[in-house]
Amino acid sequence: MRYTTELLKTISDINISNEDIVDLINTHIGNVEYSHDISKEYEGIVVAEIVEKKDHPDADKLGVYKVFTGEETRHQVVAGDKTLEIGDKVAYIKPNSIVPYSIYEEEPFVIKAIKLRGVDSNGMLGSEKELNIGPNHDHVMRLPSDAIPGTPFAEYYSFNDFVVSVENKALTNRGDLFGLVGMARELVAITGERFESPAWYRNQKKNIKPEQNCLSLDVVNDAEALCPRYTAIAMDNITNGESPTWLKSALLRLDVKPTNSIVDITNYVSALFGQPLHAFDYDKIINTDPAANNKITINVRMARDNEKILGLDNKIHELNDRVMVIADNTNPIAIAGVMGGRDTSVDENTKRVVFESANFDKNSIRRTSMDLGLNTDAATKYKHSLDTEACIPALLKAVELTKEITGGKVASEVIDIYEEPYQEQLITINIERLNIKVGLNLKKEEVEKLLLSLEYRVKSKGDGFLTVIVPSWRRDVAIEEDIYEDVARIHGYNNIDIRLPHKDITPLKDNKIFNLKKEIRKTLSDLGANEILTYSFTSESNFQKSNLDLDRAFVVKNAISPELKFMRTSLLQSILSKCKENIQRGFEEFGLFELNIPHIKGYVDENSLPKEDWHLSCILNKNNIQDSGSAYYWGKKYLEKVLNTDKCNYVLIADSLEQDLPEDVKVILPMFDPNTSAICFINGTAIGIVGEFTKSVKEEFKLSDYSCGIDINLNRLLELDVKRNQYLEVPIYPTFSLDFSFETKDEIGCQSMISELERILNDKESWARVECIDIYKSPNMKNVKRTTLRVIASKYDRTASDKDIKKISEKVIKDFERVFDAKVI
Amino acid sequence: MDFKNKNLEEIYQSLLTDKEKLNTDELKKKYSSKEGLLTKAFSEIANIDKKDRGEYGREANELKKILTEILEGKETEKKEYSSKERIDPTAPFDVNIKKENIQSWLDTKGTKHPLTSEVERWVEIFKGMGFNVLESKQLDDDYHMFESLNFPVGHPARDMYDTFWTEEGQVLPAHTSTMQNRAMKIFGPPPIAVVLPGRCFRHEATDASHEHTFHQIEGIYVDEGVSLGNMIATIKEFLQKYLDTELEVRVQPSFFPFTEPDCEFVISCPFCKKAGCSTCGHSGWIELMGCGMIHPNVLRQAEIDPEKYSGFAWGFGVDRLTMIKLGINDIRYLRDNNLNFLRQF
Repeated sequence: MRYTTELLKTISDINISNEDIVDLINTHIGNVEYSHDISKEYEGIVVAEIVEKKDHPDADKLGVYKVFTGEETRHQVVAGDKTLEIGDKVAYIKPNSIVPYSIYEEEPFVIKAIKLRGVDSNGMLGSEKELNIGPNHDHVMRLPSDAIPGTPFAEYYSFNDFVVSVENKALTNRGDLFGLVGMARELVAITGERFESPAWYRNQKKNIKPEQNCLSLDVVNDAEALCPRYTAIAMDNITNGESPTWLKSALLRLDVKPTNSIVDITNYVSALFGQPLHAFDYDKIINTDPAANNKITINVRMARDNEKILGLDNKIHELNDRVMVIADNTNPIAIAGVMGGRDTSVDENTKRVVFESANFDKNSIRRTSMDLGLNTDAATKYKHSLDTEACIPALLKAVELTKEITGGKVASEVIDIYEEPYQEQLITINIERLNIKVGLNLKKEEVEKLLLSLEYRVKSKGDGFLTVIVPSWRRDVAIEEDIYEDVARIHGYNNIDIRLPHKDITPLKDNKIFNLKKEIRKTLSDLGANEILTYSFTSESNFQKSNLDLDRAFVVKNAISPELKFMRTSLLQSILSKCKENIQRGFEEFGLFELNIPHIKGYVDENSLPKEDWHLSCILNKNNIQDSGSAYYWGKKYLEKVLNTDKCNYVLIADSLEQDLPEDVKVILPMFDPNTSAICFINGTAIGIVGEFTKSVKEEFKLSDYSCGIDINLNRLLELDVKRNQYLEVPIYPTFSLDFSFETKDEIGCQSMISELERILNDKESWARVECIDIYKSPNMKNVKRTTLRVIASKYDRTASDKDIKKISEKVIKDFERVFDAKVI
Repeated sequence: MDFKNKNLEEIYQSLLTDKEKLNTDELKKKYSSKEGLLTKAFSEIANIDKKDRGEYGREANELKKILTEILEGKETEKKEYSSKERIDPTAPFDVNIKKENIQSWLDTKGTKHPLTSEVERWVEIFKGMGFNVLESKQLDDDYHMFESLNFPVGHPARDMYDTFWTEEGQVLPAHTSTMQNRAMKIFGPPPIAVVLPGRCFRHEATDASHEHTFHQIEGIYVDEGVSLGNMIATIKEFLQKYLDTELEVRVQPSFFPFTEPDCEFVISCPFCKKAGCSTCGHSGWIELMGCGMIHPNVLRQAEIDPEKYSGFAWGFGVDRLTMIKLGINDIRYLRDNNLNFLRQF
């Protein structure tokens, strides 16, 4: 919402500098979007009179003029307009000044003293467009004959003014601040003075009589629920020309384009009150309505299906039964509260008008504005709960200005359809509570004075209590706390007593998942991997390339682009894209990981909301690796670090029946190559996958053949009752080492052999630890492999003798033959 | 297979080498697209001697058949398994691997993402001040995002949040306030002190300072006799601790349906000490967060008696504060995940 300090001062005495006004609005009302001095745009431009006129010797279309600017020197200017006459008043732009229309452009147009086809031209005579006053660019703008040469143009056009624009967002609940009066009231109250609304703002005298032959006007409200009040009046005898300079200037300063007097009046009154007004051309309604019969009946109703209207924007708008319209007997003539119709709009030939000043339901206007994609000034105002009591004063102000400016005469009674008149609202404030909740120490009298300055009225006072009548324009005030805000705001948030709250020393609840993530982040980054954060959105093609099922993805209804249309079902698919990008940047060796939440359609929590489990997903990649076998084993090392495997027992299983798996594991299974990946189980629960991606996934994302992925569901991991491995007493006697090489079938897992060895060698008498040191296969060994295991062992009660060692060795060989059908090599 | 036509034979040979190197799309582009080699070979037919034309046509069709087979093979391969041998997942390394060839940890600079490490720091500070931690949801319902926060259906304030919706009817939270109701229920009855970090989404075009995906930390504090002054002091204390400097703070009015009074928290620029610099847009002040006293209706929704208790809430942008602290000038760096960027932190 845009205000200017001079216009605010026409409403009330505000004796503060422009800079202070900006500061006060920022600190007491809402964020100032921008502010600037308008006169700066018109520096070096003065009113001038044409005193000499010649033809240009070498150019048919140029005129050569001398202008008088109150100084002795007459300035010669060449202009592309030969229609100027001696005595005409114009705006003269001096050399080295900027042409106003270009002032905010990257390279503003600076006027220079030059020769135009051989004739000296010292400056420029501005057109409307160049002066930012109107659309005309064919002719130099003529000023009224009473303009005095030498007067700075900014002064002549009342542009010595200062614009302040406040973010609409900050005024969301403050319909009253969409008018100049509302803002003036706040500023006066902030300075500690008592504001009184101008008489015209409160003028409810609707018993004015028609001044001449009555025009027929009737209003039928068939949409009462959405149109609480509709007021209208007809006027005749209008001369609808250009508006006087003061009115045009006021509108221009508010960034509203002047059009003709009637339209300008409605816009100006709307700016004063924040109450939109509309004017219909009376005769056009009569002429376009086949059922008019020289009578106008305005009908407020919902649009019928298939109805259309040509709007003031020259576009045809298709209406539906959610849209409220203003209609004549036959057709819609305006989209209520949003936009007037072209066919009944006021133009310079208009003689008779109907003014509308109405109140419409904010939600209905919001819906219509969104449905039709129309964001007009009126709609913006109506969206913010306007005052039903403002309809009549605004209508009467428009009548007064129309009489004054256009010579118009009142030609009907004031029509007022107002089924449920406004009921005053009473709110009682507990002063002590107010002081506690805000952190103030105000006396009741101070609170009272402050509220009076905002035009609250005091109904009654009690001990520590104050009952006030809320002003009718404050539709945002509903509860006591709303008034606390007014008090805190106007008194000043920065005058509040600042102190830390007192809290008891109850210990915090542990957030296990947050802590686990922090730990993992540390572990992986210590091991050379980089944490990334990627979008939750991805594209259909990313699903295809990742070998993931698109049907499991939530679809974003109002996605920004097709690239961001689907919610990812795995973090891996986003990381894959980032791998590709970094590979293309030349990175060959990296680990990227993300801790985040994937979303899977059909996977829900106890409240039927999408189940949100935190996952760790990680991708490792290295180029030019040979003879290292499958990258699965590389990934497994990282997985073990993350799981902190000394503390828990886990199992990696390659073959698993899909139906037994949790949804999130099942969903990502197709990304992985089943021969070189495994599912990780803890206590019989699948918590994730580690291993190589399928060939196609690797190819699509340019991963090296030596690459792998890890995905773990951290919430499920935490839900498990993970028990620490049993502690074993360590013997004090020297250890001995024994290597066994077993030939077994391929399918005998290495871990099962290690576990078996550890099981049989750890007992009351001895202690042992086992590691695998070699696994060997040669082409001529069919379905068998050789595994070399090293045992480090010791006895609890003595140093092991050769005999002891031999006994152990025999025990192992016998056991392995029996259990694994293993041959010792 | 041999092709009599020299050109077709060349295409065939290159196809044999590309078969393994290129993926389906690349193959299609090279051979069967508008500009593809095979497509061109077909259009050549008009320039072939009449007597050889029949032979040429047969050969070209044969080549097309081969290409189709390769493409189909690729498609099935995509759905099938790799050619790799079944590994033993329980082994510590692969078969026949020499000790020196076992891959060790990455020899690269590992890092935490700058955003998450800042969040960790903030949470540490807030924990030290007695705040619990609960992370925000990423898909939520209308009730938590709007209704429980005093946004009635059709309320224009909903327009302030350019919210994403899923076709399945969920909302992507546009602020971490979506957790207020839950947090008060989980940590209630008062006293309640909790911070709620999380990822948020808004339908906005991306540029140097805007992102459709961003992060916030919400904070709520509810107890008897809590004041707006307590809120200002709490936020100021946190910021001074984090930015490690004395700050001037200012509170400006704002509007949020779920707070009353509503404020915007502004700090003196910690870089230029109010002299004006690019970080603060030469104003000397930085707007940091929305905050205010929790609206009585919001307390009621969480079954807390507003007659007895009051509280404050704030929500600040993780990305913005991180950028300010680390001097990052374009929010897109935080989302590009370029290793050249990440490895600097």
